[in-house]
Amino acid sequence: MNNTLKDTQKQSSTPQIDLPEGVPALQTIYFYITEGCNLKCRHCWLAPQYDPKGSKYQNLSLEGFQSIITQAKDMGLHSVKLTGGEPFLHPDITSMLEYVKQEELRVVVESNGVLVTPDHAALLKSCKNPFISVSLDGANAETHEWMRGVPGCFDAAIKGAEHLVDAGFKPQIIMALMKQNVDQIEDVIHLAEDIGAGSVKFNIIQPTSRGKQLHEASENLSVAEFIELGKWVEETLSKETKLRLIFSHPMAFRSLHNLFGENSVGCGLCGIKRILGVIYDGSYALCGIGEAEPDLIFGHWKKDVLKDMWITHPIINQIREGLPDKLEGICTKCIMKNICLGSCVAQNYYQTKSLWSSFWFCEQAYEQGLFPTSRLKPQGETVADEELII
Amino acid sequence: MKQKEVKYKKNPSVVLREEFDDWGVLFDTEKGEGFCINPMGIYIWKQLDGSHTNQDVLKVIKNTFEDIPNDVEAHVNEVIEQLVQHELIL
Repeated sequence: MNNTLKDTQKQSSTPQIDLPEGVPALQTIYFYITEGCNLKCRHCWLAPQYDPKGSKYQNLSLEGFQSIITQAKDMGLHSVKLTGGEPFLHPDITSMLEYVKQEELRVVVESNGVLVTPDHAALLKSCKNPFISVSLDGANAETHEWMRGVPGCFDAAIKGAEHLVDAGFKPQIIMALMKQNVDQIEDVIHLAEDIGAGSVKFNIIQPTSRGKQLHEASENLSVAEFIELGKWVEETLSKETKLRLIFSHPMAFRSLHNLFGENSVGCGLCGIKRILGVIYDGSYALCGIGEAEPDLIFGHWKKDVLKDMWITHPIINQIREGLPDKLEGICTKCIMKNICLGSCVAQNYYQTKSLWSSFWFCEQAYEQGLFPTSRLKPQGETVADEELII
Repeated sequence: MKQKEVKYKKNPSVVLREEFDDWGVLFDTEKGEGFCINPMGIYIWKQLDGSHTNQDVLKVIKNTFEDIPNDVEAHVNEVIEQLVQHELIL
């Protein structure tokens, strides 16, 4: 009966830091360190340039990376995420990992696994509390490579994941779901078990960049299909495997025991108020969305002092002050909004140019009568005591 | 009166939403606050009708469920305390 009651509004605690009152710590930086990627995934929300060797396109400089971390450490930084493009394509990835290790920051890496070597794996493992995910969009080469656009990338990704397991990781496998691969969910779980993964995360394809084209071509799954799949993964498949299974649909669609129970997979909450993105050209941004949405770029490491930007930037302050109260649409009716925070502000802004828009998935579900009624605010509902007595 | 002798009653502005997995949400319609509650919490909540003390609730639980943990009383008291703290019961 421990943790019987969970405050659905509770957010993570703030460490003591030297920032003005009301300004949250900058706890995590998402570094999108490469403009290029060695794969050509048809569903990518960022659409990086295809660059198999990592030499054609822009990379965040090591100098910039170190400067930003140095500044942010005084602001409460405790972890970094390295992503891209493909982070292992970056020519200085080893130096970056060594720096993160030296600074004793937690590190999370999102990779397609193709370029991961035993040395990378060992170095990453020696960092503080490291975590890595490897994308596998199919249980066989045909499907995975159809999704990812480059022959040979399936075997290479498996090899990369095996290097990680050999180094002591239980990597997370991430599978982006669409019509072409939805029948391989169970096979991917079995493959992940065979590899030695620790969890499998199923991602919904966002209608951003290449993902938007997929949505327009109706290659994406419908909201109704996602909701059904989510229930199947959470309630059936998760009981058949020792791996943690995470289905990344919005919080309103996830079971409470899955969010808060003893063996919960957690909220998957985007800590938007305590996170900053840095993109490959050295710009500060809301997250990687800065690559597609110039409105959401807040400055540049060479021109702007990070702390000043974090304290004063108008959009950052709007988000700080406006979320979750200003959220619109279905969010005004949803009882999860205080912890969900609109699911993905970057995605919402990309579609509507408003920071306060609700998430497309929730909106469509509501319009189609698929939004869970138990997660909607009661409308003039009263409950007499006697109705509740057993 | 000792706290354990109090007979709590549900706050009339709080709505319980039970879900398919027996978990639920207690939603305070006045404050606009929601609290996730697990199945045993819901069971305790349902006992709090203004005529049951903590000890009464404990007794019902002991008579209803098997494999009750030794520290069940502390858990029941803790749940009720949290419900009081958030003014979900009065």
